Amino acid sequence: MSLTFLAPLFLLGLVAVAVPVIVHLVNRERHNAVAFPSLMFLRRVPFRSVRRQRIRHWALFALRCLALALLALAFARPFLDRESRSASGAGAGPRELVVLLDRSYSMAYGDRWSRARAAAERAIAGIGGADRATLVLFDHEAIATAGPTGDAAVVRTALRDARPGVGSTRYAPALAVAQQLMDRAERPRREVVLISDFQRAGWDGQELPRLAAPATLATVDVGDSTTTNTLVTGVDVSRDARDGVDRAIVAARIARQGQRAVPGARATLELSGREVEVKQVTLPASGATSVTFAAVAVPDATTRGTVRVSGPASDDRLPVDDVFHFVIARAQVVPVLLIESVGAPATRTMFLPRALGIGDRPAFRVVQRRSDRVTAADVDAARVVVLHGAGMPAGAVGDRIRTLVRGGGGLIVALGENSGTRAWSGNSELLPGAVGDIIDRSADRGGTMGSLDRSHPALESFRGTRSGDFTSARYLRYRALSPTTTDNVLARFDDGTVALAERRVGEGRVLVFSSTFDGYWNDLPVQPVFLPLVQSLVRHAAGWTPQRPWKTVGQVMNVSETGARGEVMAVAPSGERTRWSEKDSVRSLALREQGFYEIRDSNAVVANRIVAVNPDATESELGAFAPDELTRAVSPRGAVTTTVAGVTTLSVAERERRQTLWWYVLVAALLLLAAESLLSNRLSRTARHDVALAEGRMDHA
Amino acid sequence: MGFGSAGIPKLQYAKFLASCLGYFSSRQRDRVGLVTFVNGIVEYVPPAAKHLPIVLQTIARATAGGQGSIDAALRQIAEHARRRQIVVIISDLYDEPERVVRAVARLRNRGNDLIVLQVLDPAELEFPFDDAANFEDMESGEAIPVVPGLLREQYRTLMQEHTATLARLMREERIDYALFNTAQPLDHALFAYLADRQRLSRIR
Repeated sequence: MSLTFLAPLFLLGLVAVAVPVIVHLVNRERHNAVAFPSLMFLRRVPFRSVRRQRIRHWALFALRCLALALLALAFARPFLDRESRSASGAGAGPRELVVLLDRSYSMAYGDRWSRARAAAERAIAGIGGADRATLVLFDHEAIATAGPTGDAAVVRTALRDARPGVGSTRYAPALAVAQQLMDRAERPRREVVLISDFQRAGWDGQELPRLAAPATLATVDVGDSTTTNTLVTGVDVSRDARDGVDRAIVAARIARQGQRAVPGARATLELSGREVEVKQVTLPASGATSVTFAAVAVPDATTRGTVRVSGPASDDRLPVDDVFHFVIARAQVVPVLLIESVGAPATRTMFLPRALGIGDRPAFRVVQRRSDRVTAADVDAARVVVLHGAGMPAGAVGDRIRTLVRGGGGLIVALGENSGTRAWSGNSELLPGAVGDIIDRSADRGGTMGSLDRSHPALESFRGTRSGDFTSARYLRYRALSPTTTDNVLARFDDGTVALAERRVGEGRVLVFSSTFDGYWNDLPVQPVFLPLVQSLVRHAAGWTPQRPWKTVGQVMNVSETGARGEVMAVAPSGERTRWSEKDSVRSLALREQGFYEIRDSNAVVANRIVAVNPDATESELGAFAPDELTRAVSPRGAVTTTVAGVTTLSVAERERRQTLWWYVLVAALLLLAAESLLSNRLSRTARHDVALAEGRMDHA
Repeated sequence: MGFGSAGIPKLQYAKFLASCLGYFSSRQRDRVGLVTFVNGIVEYVPPAAKHLPIVLQTIARATAGGQGSIDAALRQIAEHARRRQIVVIISDLYDEPERVVRAVARLRNRGNDLIVLQVLDPAELEFPFDDAANFEDMESGEAIPVVPGLLREQYRTLMQEHTATLARLMREERIDYALFNTAQPLDHALFAYLADRQRLSRIR
């Protein structure tokens, strides 16, 4: 650790120390020459050294010299250069060095990467003899790219090829790799150098892999104290198909980190690679804003979308997160087959189709059939079958329904007058329990819903406080239902009778409501809760999950869920291809790049699925934590004193700015000058008296 | 003689002193004359009963300046003195005491009654300076660096030895001698001197 200066030329100001010398030795005597009648007696006094005699006020002289010297030092901007404590460390013997270099995309901010690489080069500069070094690049995962090797050139080459990626910072994987390398190391000196911007998002304070003694950890902080960044945090795509044309309305959320607002930034929407709309937007200081683009007609296919934000380059030093990719998928429709009992009047069947017809996320396409008219083709075209007061159809239709359910489809049964035990003979394995007799609650003006399992996925839309008033509906009649212990009971009436139960059959689900949806056995259809309830039940039975328009770097995707079969190929944004054969039981794809992945059959031209991938937005949160915290958490227990403290490799100006020693030096100089003023004033009063003595004769000469 | 630290320069003090003595002598109907000198005689007013106004005007005109030597001046005055007179010499006497007395004694040997009045400023006697400075000789212009704090005691000793030697030598030559400190009121100093002279004249 040594004292260094940001502006050493200002040290020439130390020449100013000569000023008080001149003041004391030359000027002061000339100005205060005293006229005296005769030097007759003064000449007789033994002569003393003039030089020594002239400097009489040593304290004043020292104050002036020191104040001027401190002023010169303050302007030279001193700071303590702790980089001398490099990773080469102290001690003797060969060493095992592991350099952990953060390559998350926040390292692309400003000149962080060049500084980080320079720090890594310094760390490996001392490799030689029996030393060994390993370079580990990490973001959310860690990879040892070079070493362990004693050849510094190998590490240096790997370092030269390294680039910041689009991953997010996670320290645990990197430290786990370092821990493994240190455990296997045989060198007496074991050092880990962690070079990062120490983003707060990279470590939530949980326990990290701890190094074993005698390993030590040195941290190299390349972060910046103040940051400015603009990023697109996400998009929201809503659909509008009112006049038969499917339109997408894209709204982008743009956030800004910085102390001042930025007017005139440009937000651009691109669809399928073409620029569609550009909007001017004012970015608030340290805040977020939303930009809604005009509705755009989209084809009945997956469309690639991109939102870009651009502003003054000086206000955005991290360009990676200025772009946000997403896909606009074709409108999702859940086909529903509604099977009514043979004799059901039309007024009974109107509520359910209308309630489902309103849905748009997803949309429901409802086909109504009486149980004697339904065909196997109707079942094949459906994802969910609703048996409303009807028993299980016999024959091929029944078989298809069973096949549908086992294959992942859904079956919803509303028990009515024709849903007795006989109606389910031979199909009891589908129902969550045995169906019993009708319970008539007319005498007590109907029962109410007693309890609901709102944590169940089928009812999760009512999980919020005061969400869904189920107690207002009166149930005059319902059937007894006796589920087994393996079935899920979602709701019960106030008398304890099961109102809603679920059974998993194969890949699919069967939901049984022990009353009807027709308004005869209850008044549920005229209650506000009816519409969201039936939509939620159908979505759950269909196994529908909202498809996010994008995924995040670092996620692992199950390729099988895209519907691709046989030999499948994934093409990354960089063009890198990954293939799976038919024999591969596990088809997972780690998303490591920013952009659009295509997943398709090997021989197909058109992609089965397009996946938009964006960097994790939390990486754009550039706030940092103190490296010492991590050092303490990772260093060997009881070896705090041997732990290498944090080392900073910020730019010279940044290091100086963080320490601001000049401020303290300047304050000290000002205090000295104030003291000098007080002292010199006191001394000058005496001097003025002497001068007055001498000047009195001038009036009469 | 132009030096003054206590409000009145030595020359002014000496002018008052000379004027008073001239006035007193005139009131006694004595003849009054005047000689101003530096290295030699600057102005000369011969003694006469009616010369008091001229003497006073000449005193008023006198200014300080130049590097003086009392020896040369008194030698010239001796040449002008034809008859016995009372000669009052007013000076700061910055010269060796022996040389001063020798010069003064030359006048006394001609039968003159001599009175030597030495006028000094209190700063010349006490040397009260504190700040280091170049001290410049008002007559020669020569300057030397001086740290008064270190020289003060030695200076005072030398000055006291100087005045004491003058007083002793004057007394041995039977010459009236008095030291006037310009810090003292003139009337008080003059009264004290005249009273002392009157007392001594009775003893003589």
